[in-house]
Amino acid sequence: MSTVKEQLIKNLVVEDKISHQKITVVGVGAVGMACAICILLKDLADELALVDVAEDKLKGEMMDLQHGSLFFATSKIVGGKDYRVSENSKLIIVTAGVRQQEGESRLSLVQRNVDIMKSVIPALVQYSPDCKMLIVSNPVDILTYVVWKLSGLPAARIIGSGCNLDSARFRYLIGEKLGVHPASCHGWIIGEHGDSSVPLWSGVNVAGVALKTLNPNLGTDSDKDQWKNIHRQVVESAYEIIKLKGYTSWAIGLSVTNLVESILKNLRRVHPVSTMVKGLYGIKEEIFLSVPCILGQSGISDIVKVNLNSEEEDLFKKSADTVWNIQKDLVF
Amino acid sequence: MGWAVGVCWASRRVGAARARFLSVGMAPGPRQPAGVPLGGPCSVTPVSRMATVQGELIKNLTSKESVPHNKISIVGSGSVGMACAISILMRGLSDELALVDVNEGRLKGETMDLQHGSLFVKMPKIVSSKDYQVTANSSLVIITAGVRQKKGETRLDLVQRNLAIFKLMISDIMTHSPNCKVIIVSNPVDILTYVTWKLSGIPQTRVIGSGCNLDTARFRYLIGQKLGIHAGSCQGWVLGEHGDSCVPVWSSVNVAGVPLGDLNAQLGTDQDPERWKDVHKEVVSSPYEIIKMKGYTSWAIGLSVADLAESLLRDLRRVHPVSTIVKGLYGIREEVALSVPCVLGADGIAGLVQVKLTPEEEARLKKSAETLWGILRALEV
Repeated sequence: MSTVKEQLIKNLVVEDKISHQKITVVGVGAVGMACAICILLKDLADELALVDVAEDKLKGEMMDLQHGSLFFATSKIVGGKDYRVSENSKLIIVTAGVRQQEGESRLSLVQRNVDIMKSVIPALVQYSPDCKMLIVSNPVDILTYVVWKLSGLPAARIIGSGCNLDSARFRYLIGEKLGVHPASCHGWIIGEHGDSSVPLWSGVNVAGVALKTLNPNLGTDSDKDQWKNIHRQVVESAYEIIKLKGYTSWAIGLSVTNLVESILKNLRRVHPVSTMVKGLYGIKEEIFLSVPCILGQSGISDIVKVNLNSEEEDLFKKSADTVWNIQKDLVF
Repeated sequence: MGWAVGVCWASRRVGAARARFLSVGMAPGPRQPAGVPLGGPCSVTPVSRMATVQGELIKNLTSKESVPHNKISIVGSGSVGMACAISILMRGLSDELALVDVNEGRLKGETMDLQHGSLFVKMPKIVSSKDYQVTANSSLVIITAGVRQKKGETRLDLVQRNLAIFKLMISDIMTHSPNCKVIIVSNPVDILTYVTWKLSGIPQTRVIGSGCNLDTARFRYLIGQKLGIHAGSCQGWVLGEHGDSCVPVWSSVNVAGVPLGDLNAQLGTDQDPERWKDVHKEVVSSPYEIIKMKGYTSWAIGLSVADLAESLLRDLRRVHPVSTIVKGLYGIREEVALSVPCVLGADGIAGLVQVKLTPEEEARLKKSAETLWGILRALEV
């Protein structure tokens, strides 16, 4: 007796089950799920895979997303503990790792998260040897380096989410101060995603008008308008939000989705993301820090060479030292 | 009086710059114009001649305070409320989003986290407060506040716990947004939809329970999985009580206008060899399953609520299965809320679609109505 499906549908073509725009999210904590929902709402993937060790939570999250299928256009959502589920991904977003506790700096998480990467990365590469990887777990600059080493992939394909979020926060706060949408306030934060990040005050502008020409003290301690506070708020905001709600999720999810869009659609937009900066600004070690990068289907295809003034270069080098000091003692 | 005007102008700019120096997470939003004087009309006061960057950069032209269009307020910053928030934000459904919660710490953290994503979205004003004043002039208020269903707890057991919260909440909401539409999400949604209507005193048409919108979405997803077709192309309706007693209207299930019941006369019955009835079983059981596995459900309900919000705010007049007062339909004599297909637009529920139900389906709706009325009668509303 024929089924409803057989009676209803005359099949013409055997379904090609290969996805063309598959994204895997590793880690279904608050950050991973925020990335997932934002990716779904922006229609960036035809298949979304979720991977985690916590099987129950993973299945629950996967089902919850699937049940929303009527409302978005990603027809395949899968999940599993086995990395095979990530096979054939164009892009893998790594959010796995232990989270910052209240008051804990990103750097203190290091060794715990390095060990997690050792168990995660080789399997991902095995199933998606051509993928790009977007690292979100903290401390992101060090972990992007670690993933680069563990994966054996070219540095261009390993992207740390880095200062994309810091710069977004920076532009939001500048926008609040000026009464202008953040998208029209341009400003870059580079270096370490963390306490030693470097705000490029000389580049902060609206409609090409550098704020520094209007206020030469912009960003200094002698600035009566205290613009420096904005950078301080950027650095502290994660700690503050963690204290209030336990973790951050929405802003990082939106920022990661912004990067995903540039990569998968080969937009060649410029983002401050974490990449290998040996050779830039006099840096001699193999470290990863955020600088403005051109993102497209190859990953990071180019770096924009920003002219830093001597003070900014100093701060950038300090950022590099901060990161190298931890990285050099890593065991893996 | 040129110089007096000049000083006045400078004082307004300085004042405005100081006014904007608030900690993140507080109103006002970026739309507040530079020229708003701090204290009353322009007066010639000796102030520093320091010009701010803002004043130097931007020549201000309008001084009108911006009025929100389609403002949405969400009551409750828990998982469901925040899932609604992110869905609404990413769909860009309004120009202002307000969040309310009693848990001030979590509320502030969630608000800051959303605000920090402002670069990536097109909703310029995100505010929050414990005080319902922040919801003033909302077009739509979404109520997600309430205690969470415990593992194994039925929705009906939640009732008494949620009623006390609603009494305080509804009067505050109506005070500040007397013309709003309200979407109720908190469970048990059909009961709380009725409660909201009674407590608010606003017309039934402006009180919308999220009801079976999500059950129907799940139903269509699962039908789609069975047929290898996207949920959007599988039509089917789940009506009545949101929860264990929801009614799958098998006669409504069709693809491209072809009713599946024409292809399988046993569709949805116990005799059906294809066991389509299991699809409905899964609609009922899956929320409990998800709660057991991740502690709560959030993403699907958030997406489904944003879908309702879109119909209401954009006056789309799409038809959704939502909870409304159904006295007089299907022989129901009690004043209860159950889900039926409703046309949703700018005025709220603009119309009801009168679905022809089988006698068995009608009987189930009537039974739900009786059960709900039994509870409502016992409640002190």
